[in-house]
Amino acid sequence: MSKDSFEPNIVAFLCNWCSYAGADLAGTSRIEYPPNVKIIRVMCSGRVNPMFIVNALHEGADGVLIGGCHPGDCHYIQGNYFARRRIAVLKKLLEYLGIDERRVRMTWVSAAEGKKFADVIREVTDDIRKLGPTHQIRRSNSW
Amino acid sequence: METLTLEKNKLPQLIKKIQSRYTVLAPTKCDNITLFKPINDYKEINLDFLNSKVSPKSILFCQTETLFKFKQGISAEVKSVDFPNSKNVIFGIRPCDAKSFSIVDFVFKDDFVDPYYMNKRENTVLIGLSCIKPGVNCFCTSMNGGPAFAEDVDILLTDIGDKYYVEIKTSKGNEVVKTSKDLFSKASSSDKNKKQEISEKVEKAITRNMNTKGIVEKLDKIFEDPIWKNISLKCLGCGICTYQCPTCHCFDIQDETTLSDGARVRVWDTCMNPEYTVHASGHNPRPARMNRTRNRVYHKFNYYPKNYNIIACVGCGRCINDCPVNIDIIDIIDQAREVKA
Amino acid sequence: MVDLKKLRESTEKIINRDDVKYVIGWEKGTHGFQVTPLFITSSDDVERLIFNPLCVHNLTVFLMLQEKLPLRKGAEEDKRKVGVIVKGCDSRAIVQIIQEKGLNRDDVVIIGIPCTGVIDPKKINKKFPNQTKTVDIDEDANNFVIKIDGKTHKVPKEELLMDKCKQCQFPNPIIYDVLVGSEIKTTGKPNYKDVESFEKKSLKEKWEYWEKQFEKCIRCYACRNVCPMCYCKECMVDQLNPQWIRRSVNVSENTAWNIMRAFHLAGRCIDCGECERVCPAEIPLVKLNKKLEKEVLELFDYRAGLDVDVKPLLSMFKPDDPEEFIL
Repeated sequence: MSKDSFEPNIVAFLCNWCSYAGADLAGTSRIEYPPNVKIIRVMCSGRVNPMFIVNALHEGADGVLIGGCHPGDCHYIQGNYFARRRIAVLKKLLEYLGIDERRVRMTWVSAAEGKKFADVIREVTDDIRKLGPTHQIRRSNSW
Repeated sequence: METLTLEKNKLPQLIKKIQSRYTVLAPTKCDNITLFKPINDYKEINLDFLNSKVSPKSILFCQTETLFKFKQGISAEVKSVDFPNSKNVIFGIRPCDAKSFSIVDFVFKDDFVDPYYMNKRENTVLIGLSCIKPGVNCFCTSMNGGPAFAEDVDILLTDIGDKYYVEIKTSKGNEVVKTSKDLFSKASSSDKNKKQEISEKVEKAITRNMNTKGIVEKLDKIFEDPIWKNISLKCLGCGICTYQCPTCHCFDIQDETTLSDGARVRVWDTCMNPEYTVHASGHNPRPARMNRTRNRVYHKFNYYPKNYNIIACVGCGRCINDCPVNIDIIDIIDQAREVKA
Repeated sequence: MVDLKKLRESTEKIINRDDVKYVIGWEKGTHGFQVTPLFITSSDDVERLIFNPLCVHNLTVFLMLQEKLPLRKGAEEDKRKVGVIVKGCDSRAIVQIIQEKGLNRDDVVIIGIPCTGVIDPKKINKKFPNQTKTVDIDEDANNFVIKIDGKTHKVPKEELLMDKCKQCQFPNPIIYDVLVGSEIKTTGKPNYKDVESFEKKSLKEKWEYWEKQFEKCIRCYACRNVCPMCYCKECMVDQLNPQWIRRSVNVSENTAWNIMRAFHLAGRCIDCGECERVCPAEIPLVKLNKKLEKEVLELFDYRAGLDVDVKPLLSMFKPDDPEEFIL
């Protein structure tokens, strides 16, 4: 596959209360965004175990996006703060192992920010398209 | 069958000749440890080694082995895996590790012949290399072996100074070298003496030994003894001893799947892992670490000799070398012998 | 160097208490430079107890390895305390576990030893290969005094010390009931030179390096089992449903396992270096742990295992945590 025709496969973990609703708003407002993103709804960005992210990369995702509420707006008061810490550490670890840290992204999108959601997806998709497919920890499935 | 000698500088030529018909696996330096790996060139071989970190059982009894593949869903089907036709030579295997194959063979061809192992076993020729310097925890002489023990290999090379003393023991071995006979010369009786001398010298350098006389019967009597509890107290429950062991042969079977297809694979398992014995009901017949450490000893020194009349230990010393908490199989057997039953 | 007599005396006092089950210490090993954990159950065992620079083991792990087996009908649980002898770094593990509520402070009796550094088994085995008989080791201010076959060798400490000890900041136990010996002044500073020089490599170089390392992993999980911080009832790697990591041993599964192990120690690793010591494939695991230690210090100004009352790193937050990476 040439680099131009490469379409990244992005998994997005979106929190039920803000980011997922933001994605919903983008849809109902008919804002167009790249179809490369596969959304998994979680109750809170704090629910995203770093192993979810590693597993997504492992199973074939080229990028992972975690979406949560803006700081202070978390439905569970502090879930997104915990997530922020974890992701910060995980990104550093991945970078150290030779996996580009830009493959793991995090964003705050509120339920009212349909436009921002579409912008973020566009940005992430473009970035990861440039990075190309992951090969480092991709499961081989070649028995 | 036949005894020859080989000039040391002709070894690369010999390997090259063998490589034209066989895949050669040899000890190679992987970062900071030595492992048996398929080689492309003689230069990759590292003969300055005591023994490989992981025993060469991993070549015949792979850590991960695909048993068959399948497709799921409407078009479900099962596909068997093809056995490769390629013939292998394990070059530089130590006599103790070669002996382990003779021991493990009993399991893999007993009442059910395991095609995955046996296929590789039959297509593999063992070219052994005598030890000229034993390791700290080698005790092969206590386990009916020796640093230049030639019974379990097809060909045995012994370093006798400027050349190798070559003993061809089987027709399989003869087949390997038949096209390169011109590299060898006939062995004289002085060569033979030299080999004898060296092997005796190395045997004397082995400082550790294990007395296994009557151990099978003794273990029968002390199953419930508190020593097992004491020994197990410091066990961490990791898999080093069993994974490194050349005669441990337990495995786990797992289905690995994607949405559309998958495979049934067999992977090494270790009796040190609590999960090893957990039943589907959740019951675990070996619930404590004590049961598991004891099982390792009993399997090697009691159950196995009862089934196949041979102790499942070759004295390579790997489990002693690498145990993080210095659980020492020689020490355990000594302790067991001292218990008053 | 710790006065062995005093250590034995304090240990004897503790083991003679009615509320102590056993005390964990060290004894001579079976060969060469080996030292092995010792479980002292009565005052008779005390004379086997030793402490010398070969005592690398972090004995804290045995607190977490205690088995709680189902009791027979009518039997009562043995609720007595466990004693443990700790060096500076080991004590941080206890602090960290208490912080995480994995252990109750009242359930342990801690004998602290101010530690002047331990010997790297790999280094000493390389310097004096083929030692079958057990060896006596002493130390003076700058040297290790090693007696082999009647001969005495003096080796500069710098040559044999474990790398972690050369930059040790916490030679004195942080938490203890009894301290044997007097506290040592520390000069160590955290040193991340290794990590920093590795960080400068390109992504490709980094991955090539780790790929080669993880390829060797045989997944014996010794790194996990020897780690005092790895005390989950069920490790994620053992889970079958969902199965995060397959049992197959190949580079991609091994990498996932090693990421999982390293990440779970983020802000928890107390740098005892046991994982790297035991790894039969000689994977430089400390290099991973050190990286996380460095990042955690830089990002959140946090160090593991120093204060029982602080919350664990990932179960607290500050509103102004760094977030420049967030879109």
